[in-house]
Amino acid sequence: MNEKENKGGNNDEPNKKFSIWDLPDVPMGQLPPHLQLQKTRVVCKADAPIHTDNISYSGAYASIGVDNSVHLDLFRDNFKVNVIRLTKEDMEFDMIGIDPALANAFRRILISEVPTMAIEKVLIAYNTSVVQDEVLAHRLGLVPLKADPRLFEYLSANDTPNEKNTIVFKLHATCKRGERRTVYSEELKWLPKGSELIKEAGQADSKPTTYTSFTCSQDMLPEFSEDPISPSEDKIILAKLGSKQEIELEAHAVKGLGKTHAKWSPVATAWYRMLPEVLLLEDVEDEVAEELVRRCPDKVFDIEDIGHGKKRATVARPRDCRLCRECVRGEGWEERVELRRVKDHFIFTVESTGVLPPEVLFTEAVKILEEKCERVISELS
Amino acid sequence: CCSRVSYERDTKIINAASFIIEREEHTIGNIVRMQLHLDENVLFAGYKLPHPLQYKIIIRIHTTSQSSPMQAYNLAINDLDKELDHLRSAFEDEIANYSSTREY
Repeated sequence: MNEKENKGGNNDEPNKKFSIWDLPDVPMGQLPPHLQLQKTRVVCKADAPIHTDNISYSGAYASIGVDNSVHLDLFRDNFKVNVIRLTKEDMEFDMIGIDPALANAFRRILISEVPTMAIEKVLIAYNTSVVQDEVLAHRLGLVPLKADPRLFEYLSANDTPNEKNTIVFKLHATCKRGERRTVYSEELKWLPKGSELIKEAGQADSKPTTYTSFTCSQDMLPEFSEDPISPSEDKIILAKLGSKQEIELEAHAVKGLGKTHAKWSPVATAWYRMLPEVLLLEDVEDEVAEELVRRCPDKVFDIEDIGHGKKRATVARPRDCRLCRECVRGEGWEERVELRRVKDHFIFTVESTGVLPPEVLFTEAVKILEEKCERVISELS
Repeated sequence: CCSRVSYERDTKIINAASFIIEREEHTIGNIVRMQLHLDENVLFAGYKLPHPLQYKIIIRIHTTSQSSPMQAYNLAINDLDKELDHLRSAFEDEIANYSSTREY
């Protein structure tokens, strides 16, 4: 009788409810490890990844008493940025603690919604080269220009081109008889005072007007007098000229978005990937270890000697893993190696075309996203 | 051109509404949907582009009686604003840190 009633507590109620959380070694308010894995890691199996969705619903684990909600201060505490590499042209940095929706939004904005200046109108005075007018104009449009787009305004259809919304370039290249030459982008000369081509006047006695109306010269502005506007690369081939061929043209550059045409995209490209995690599920030794090191093209694995002539494989550089899945292909390899991705750790790479330095580009992208959020807020209560 | 937001309450379900936002697409839609999921009072949040050739999104929100779709939507966007602000200053600090440690 005594053993039946003695349930390690009070003997008053014969059916005392037993809660698993009362056991001393069960951590309260935390997920069991297999659920934590599902929530924070994408496991890349040999055929397809699993656990790819984001469990963001705040009541997802309500039945086991774990609160899945994320408040603003939790975001602030968990968010981290690490800059890995920063040069004038490209940058690689890590963002930890954000959602894939945010990461994708930054990527989309960097590619299509950060404005730049690019050549839009080309006024061709003379072109006897083998490169057709429209082909040459298309190539000129794709040349990245080193002009800060924040100092300019958009030019809409009924505006007149003036010094605040247009940049004028001139290109005049000739080739001597009996020779051949290549026309490079460094020959695009900036005209700070505006267009020099004269429009055909309707009335014979009116003053000759050009295609732009600059009220003052653009190099009066301090930003341009020290650092004149030019294409960001000098050696871009625009055209090739044969004997006695000549190109004379004037190009007008305006501000635009990558959404309208890819020539206005400020990044060569911008991309992100999740941080890779590579685990060895069992000890990989000797020949199997050597084969593993041989299989991986990114040199993620290394061999270490553990004495007695035995070797073991270790994961040396998991960050370099590009998910070629060579290490899990074939019979029995999936039990030895597990490839994972951390769901909230993003490695961003931004390659700028030279318009703006990459860190400025990213800051502009965040500003543009903030402006979008403000536009979308509803004023009704 | 600025985007316009219009609001349509659902006649059949209580505390449910759709927001139709002109001239926006996945960039904003996915982010607002993500932020709405983190709200405890939101029972359903989703967005869609009704047609790829039409430049607008529809965000549908159902909430509990503790909140209303309008409240949830505004709260989500305000929270996003604060998060982005914090993100930007953390990024700028990190860049300044990195540049200063580079110049020995």
